[in-house]
Amino acid sequence: MSEEIGPTDAVCPECLKTIHAKKIVENDDVYIVKTCPEHGTWKVKIWSGAEHYKYLYEFAAVPKTPTKRAVGDIKDCPHDCGLCNRHLQHSCVNVVEVTNHCNLNCPVCFATANGCGYDFHPDIETIRGMFQTVVDFVDSPRCVQISGGEPTIRDDLPEIVKMAKDMGIEHIEVNTNGVRIGNDIEYLRKLQQAGVDDFYFQFDGTDDAIYMKTRGRPMFDLKQQAIKNVAEVGGIGITLVVTVVPGVNLDHVGEIIRFAARNTPTVKGVHFQPIFHVGRYPVDPTDDNRVNLPQLAHEIEVQTKGMLKADNFMPTSCSNVHCDMKSLSVVLPDYSLFPLTTMALGPPAKTDDIANKTRKEVSEFWRFIEVSMDGEDETRDKDDHTWNTFIKRAKTHYLTVSAMAFQDVWTGETERWERCCIHVVTLDRKLIPFCLFNTTARDGTTLYRKKTFCQ
Amino acid sequence: MEFIIDAAVKEAYEAKGIKDEDIKAVVEGAGKDRIYNGSEFIAKKEIGDMTVYARYKMEGDKATILSAYKHKMKILDIVLVGDDTEWKYCANGAVVKAGHTNLTYLGATRSGPSLVEPESGQSWFEEYLANGALATAEVLFQQKRA
Repeated sequence: MSEEIGPTDAVCPECLKTIHAKKIVENDDVYIVKTCPEHGTWKVKIWSGAEHYKYLYEFAAVPKTPTKRAVGDIKDCPHDCGLCNRHLQHSCVNVVEVTNHCNLNCPVCFATANGCGYDFHPDIETIRGMFQTVVDFVDSPRCVQISGGEPTIRDDLPEIVKMAKDMGIEHIEVNTNGVRIGNDIEYLRKLQQAGVDDFYFQFDGTDDAIYMKTRGRPMFDLKQQAIKNVAEVGGIGITLVVTVVPGVNLDHVGEIIRFAARNTPTVKGVHFQPIFHVGRYPVDPTDDNRVNLPQLAHEIEVQTKGMLKADNFMPTSCSNVHCDMKSLSVVLPDYSLFPLTTMALGPPAKTDDIANKTRKEVSEFWRFIEVSMDGEDETRDKDDHTWNTFIKRAKTHYLTVSAMAFQDVWTGETERWERCCIHVVTLDRKLIPFCLFNTTARDGTTLYRKKTFCQ
Repeated sequence: MEFIIDAAVKEAYEAKGIKDEDIKAVVEGAGKDRIYNGSEFIAKKEIGDMTVYARYKMEGDKATILSAYKHKMKILDIVLVGDDTEWKYCANGAVVKAGHTNLTYLGATRSGPSLVEPESGQSWFEEYLANGALATAEVLFQQKRA
């Protein structure tokens, strides 16, 4: 027996044309079923737990179309994106890509950096134009993630960061694999002086066997050195960003969280990104190749022995409620987590300006707070189980554990794209939802990426 | 009973969400259920989801309110009994001790320094803690709902 829980739209995995799709429940799992009149039908599991899936709609933000948009009325969502008057959420993070070159050659790369058939390494004036797009279309406070490729291969990255700050972009996050900042502390110092607020730090596990599979080389020592360097330089926080792949590192998520806790306050968060499939796929990925958010939350609960429970994860309500989940915990002196978030709190009371709230959170809460802020305090490193100690710890030793289920051509749907709040900046002054930007057909044809950066 | 409340005192407790009638309920309802240090009284009362405290002086039938504060955490058991303080519990005349008492809020239980009277099991939290660590912890939890 299957129950239909909603129509939606999607694109055909073969030809990328807009097609109708539906979501159904079977055996308590939610599937998206896409049918292209020309190329057939695909059915992909997107959620485990039908009642949970439905309940999350109560957490949805009040729809809020961006007031400043590059595109007016559109005929064919998601092909005329930019954003348009059909979009239902503001930007909370804008991604500005500054190169597609990289100093690694990973088997897994959503940006398909290196060997992707085009070269993108814009000059500083072109990058200024992309920042100007953010300033023109997004209200303050603005958060930009500088991404690539690997941004730190650019010697002029400190100059780029400073330019962004001077243009009125309050929060700058650099997406990095950590190779350069682990090897070159003087370069790191220049980034800190230029105003980098945090690193979105690629981190796949605490075992080199994982890195051999995901990055093609051992990297754990280098990752630790990079974290050590960031701690030494000070003033920048780190979010560990983990591409979660079943059979590769899904069974290490608990250890990664414990590693992060041990490395607070420099490490402020762990952000899990279940693998999504872009690029050329001769054989369609199966449900076994994927992990959805409830499955990930369950793994975290099991592997942390209940220290962080699935119920501690809530949707941010900034993106579509089925796109992300987030928890916040205070890290106690024994590095155990004291979660502050729980689904028992219920839906948020106020969601009409959630993107603004999220931008403030990104810029304020995730920012590194100097340990010295509160002066020397000998109780900081021991827990006497008082509220006092708890609060003192909470000021500096907190950890967000979050996840985002990026969509690919198999899982993507309009209902989620139109509520996206993470937008890639294009050269023609548009903002494209991150997942749409990176969507590719089975043969590797991109929906937006190549036509955006191959002008 | 006549209440004398300075404008600044009133402004401070109203900013915490405490109303005039809450203060009156605490002071008038206290009877002997209050502590006294020879100069001033502290009384408390659970009102709705808050425990409201009034610190005040009495002269005949006139109560001069010195301050009022509150916490939303629920008081549980005494976990530590220490030295004598200057305070006495009016209900039984016992000397109030410095101690620690558990407080619970939204599923989390931790302790805080308190004034305790072990015989009756009563605990009182002082203004600095209620306005400081306890209020901060409450906000920290509550903001997750916002």
